[in-house]
Amino acid sequence: MDDGTEFVDFAIDYAGKKGAEYTEARYEHQEPESFILKNGVLDALDVGEDRGVGVRVLVNGALGFAATNDLAKGSIRLIVNDAVKVARASRRRTKIRFAQEEALAMNWSVPEEERLADVPVEEKIRGIAEVDQAVTSLGFKVAARYFQLSSNRITKYFANSEGSRIRSYSPRLRFFYFLTVVEGTDAEQTYRNYGWSGGWEGIRAWGLKDRVVEEARSMHKSLTQGKKSPEGKMDLVAGPQVAGIASHESCGHPMEADRVLGREASQAGKSFIPPDGIGMRVGSDVVNVVDDPTVEHAIAYYLTDDEGVKARRRYLYKEGRVTEFLHNRETAASLGTRSNGAARSVNYNLEAIVRMANTFVEPGDHSVEELLEGVKYGIYMKSFMEWNIDDKRYNAKYAGREAYVVENGEIKQPVRNAIVELTTPAFWSAVDAVGKDLEFEAGFCGKSDPGQALDASLGGPTIRLRNVYLK
Amino acid sequence: MEDLPSRIVKKALALGCQDAVADVITNRSYQIRFARNEAVIGNRWRERTASVFFVYDKRVLTSDIKDLTKTDGAVERLVKIAKGSQQNPDYAGIAEGPFRYARTRPDLKILALDEGGKYVEAAVGGALDEGAKECAGSFWKYDVEHSLSTSNGVEAHDHRASLYLSIRALVSLESSGHGIACATKLSRFDPEKAGHKAGRIATLAMTPKPGKAGRFAVVFDPLIFGSLTDQVGGRLSAWAVLAGLSPFGKKIGKRVASPAVTLADDGSADSIGRKRFDAEGVPTRRTVLVQKGILKTYLHNTSTARKFKTKTTGNAGLVYPDTHAIFVKPGDWTRDELFSEVKDGLWLTNTWYTRYQAYVTGDLSTIPRDGIFHIRKGEVAEAWKDIRVTDNLLRMMKNVVALSDKTEQMMWWGEVSAPNFVPYALIKDVGITRSAE
Repeated sequence: MDDGTEFVDFAIDYAGKKGAEYTEARYEHQEPESFILKNGVLDALDVGEDRGVGVRVLVNGALGFAATNDLAKGSIRLIVNDAVKVARASRRRTKIRFAQEEALAMNWSVPEEERLADVPVEEKIRGIAEVDQAVTSLGFKVAARYFQLSSNRITKYFANSEGSRIRSYSPRLRFFYFLTVVEGTDAEQTYRNYGWSGGWEGIRAWGLKDRVVEEARSMHKSLTQGKKSPEGKMDLVAGPQVAGIASHESCGHPMEADRVLGREASQAGKSFIPPDGIGMRVGSDVVNVVDDPTVEHAIAYYLTDDEGVKARRRYLYKEGRVTEFLHNRETAASLGTRSNGAARSVNYNLEAIVRMANTFVEPGDHSVEELLEGVKYGIYMKSFMEWNIDDKRYNAKYAGREAYVVENGEIKQPVRNAIVELTTPAFWSAVDAVGKDLEFEAGFCGKSDPGQALDASLGGPTIRLRNVYLK
Repeated sequence: MEDLPSRIVKKALALGCQDAVADVITNRSYQIRFARNEAVIGNRWRERTASVFFVYDKRVLTSDIKDLTKTDGAVERLVKIAKGSQQNPDYAGIAEGPFRYARTRPDLKILALDEGGKYVEAAVGGALDEGAKECAGSFWKYDVEHSLSTSNGVEAHDHRASLYLSIRALVSLESSGHGIACATKLSRFDPEKAGHKAGRIATLAMTPKPGKAGRFAVVFDPLIFGSLTDQVGGRLSAWAVLAGLSPFGKKIGKRVASPAVTLADDGSADSIGRKRFDAEGVPTRRTVLVQKGILKTYLHNTSTARKFKTKTTGNAGLVYPDTHAIFVKPGDWTRDELFSEVKDGLWLTNTWYTRYQAYVTGDLSTIPRDGIFHIRKGEVAEAWKDIRVTDNLLRMMKNVVALSDKTEQMMWWGEVSAPNFVPYALIKDVGITRSAE
């Protein structure tokens, strides 16, 4: 099988002859596999073999992108012509520049203890069916069950006109479930996402059956014993899932430099943090939030981004202050800095844009028990269901799925629909202690037009917020 | 290459499949994204993909074949994989063809359009004329062909072309408006009007004040009402009902909206979502989903229809039936009459991030964006910011008081996934919350 080298290198060379100041080309070969087990029935098995080349050029300070899945030199020539033509047609008043970055020549791959390609689909289906059977044997009504197992094996070859030549291989595994537990006419619903960079060994690392069963039991307990959550100012102990979504939504997104600069204004929105907002206080001194593509086994693991820039850990908020935006080469040049390797694309046929990778609250040194001990009266929100945030990333809401009243440091009865509806500074400024129980959840992060739903990790330890308004 | 879909189907049948569908999709679409009042990138695609569906002994497999030079090998590989899958006892086959289809042709002027810069300039110009400072959005020329073949006698072709522009105009970070232009004829494409609308809302929304929580009568602009009707359409997929992802389960024949609401799906009518046939080759048609507030049917393919003991509505999705285009029957109020009815309420123009606490109950919240206005005695009193609609989908649809007498075609990146033809809507007692500082 070809690895795209011939077509990518040809595209770079040909674009130079057509007058491009800068060219990058990316070949991707993706092998996705996915199935849904819905109420015990396998709807369909989806298997793909996706490959093609995308070319992006900079011509007269304007960008053009074109893509094809027809791997023939004639078609590559056509898309280079397309990219150059649409760039020339832009007639920009201000010229786009790219930050200077070193050319890289490297190969990297994510190891698989047990290769995804070697695991028969029958075994994968059997594994998920066992989880489904465990849930249906619990003795209460799980009215709707929806399990999805997905994997992808992504091979890339990236090159640019500055001399970068990068090959990579990234196998990924995901598990998603959605459950509906019913008691009389009342219902509780939940979903969870697991992600893994690596091989089939990820399924064992997750311990799915026990975790899904535990979740279903907690849903039933909420339904049968849960009371309306109290309203008023009180302490909140938020579990890793809640800390993770908050770090993604109100730390990661507002720190995307393309959003800060207005490139996403019509779709994903802008940011409450201005371009000169480095140093702005948004949280207490104990709040450290990072985005790190190099976290082993996290679903958004990578060593080079889709502009060929080396990946590294980025502090978004450090000691409660805005520290470093997420950059690609274009935004870095606009703000007079260097790219920090945040450019990614979902596939060969879409441009790479600024994205989060694995975003999380950096763990502290408290145990969950210690965090709870300090609470006289409050809520312990272990997980959430409904959430949203405005397009400047300032007004967020997280509605609890599994939550409990805490009295004098002890977990009491379950409560339903506990709601945290706070501004971003109000949320992060209230954090007074951070746990050490770091956990990650996988997510799909949506952005751009055409929409790019991209693998991302959301993580954090349990955190404690003081005296916040809950309802 | 024109016989490629039927060749794929024949190959799958020769390998023992009982049902097979191949849809060869040729995509020649073109896009300009713009921000800060000028183009930020132009995108073009030249892609040809075979989207296939094979059934071997009730084992269902879907795939996209990207290398069309080696389809025989790909089909062999896929059928082999299908044999290792699990039977789907709910699978009930695909529709029996052949069918007769409406004659539709794409606008040749759209197909010939090679450059969209002037449409971006027109939209941005319209917004700047209204006082906007900064505009961003996307212009699209969609040019997509489908060649469909099924093992049940369907051989069909559909060439779809349309133009689309979405523009957000800003005066400041918190003062913005959004406009949409859609057309299947170049002569009817009016991006400048969309720019003017976005700019007008943005300037009207200057210096917004923090909003207040409570229950309000709300005038929903077509774009945000389209978000609600898009939710209704999507949740009416029979697949969503079966998966617990819908509040419409067991509600056929029951009231799910006010008598003012009649809503149909229609892939056969003129819209940028127009299709001659669904994924099984069934001709698209008008299907009334909600009539005077009463739920009439879910959206079906052949398999979900069998499960619900009814007939396909021509909305396949081979796995997931879905909407083509939603048409809301207009009311008999003028837009001004709707506003006059509001003594102390709101006018919302757009939203995003609609999320459910429980899909089966319809409890949700969604965050208005762009212009949010406090209405007093039918007039805009002031602009608000930072509020959230916290309510229930069924409750809001049941609380529709009146609809305006004209509809507009809406589709948007954030929340309106299919074309929705929607009027202005007045909804009473809408729950509004806001974040604590």
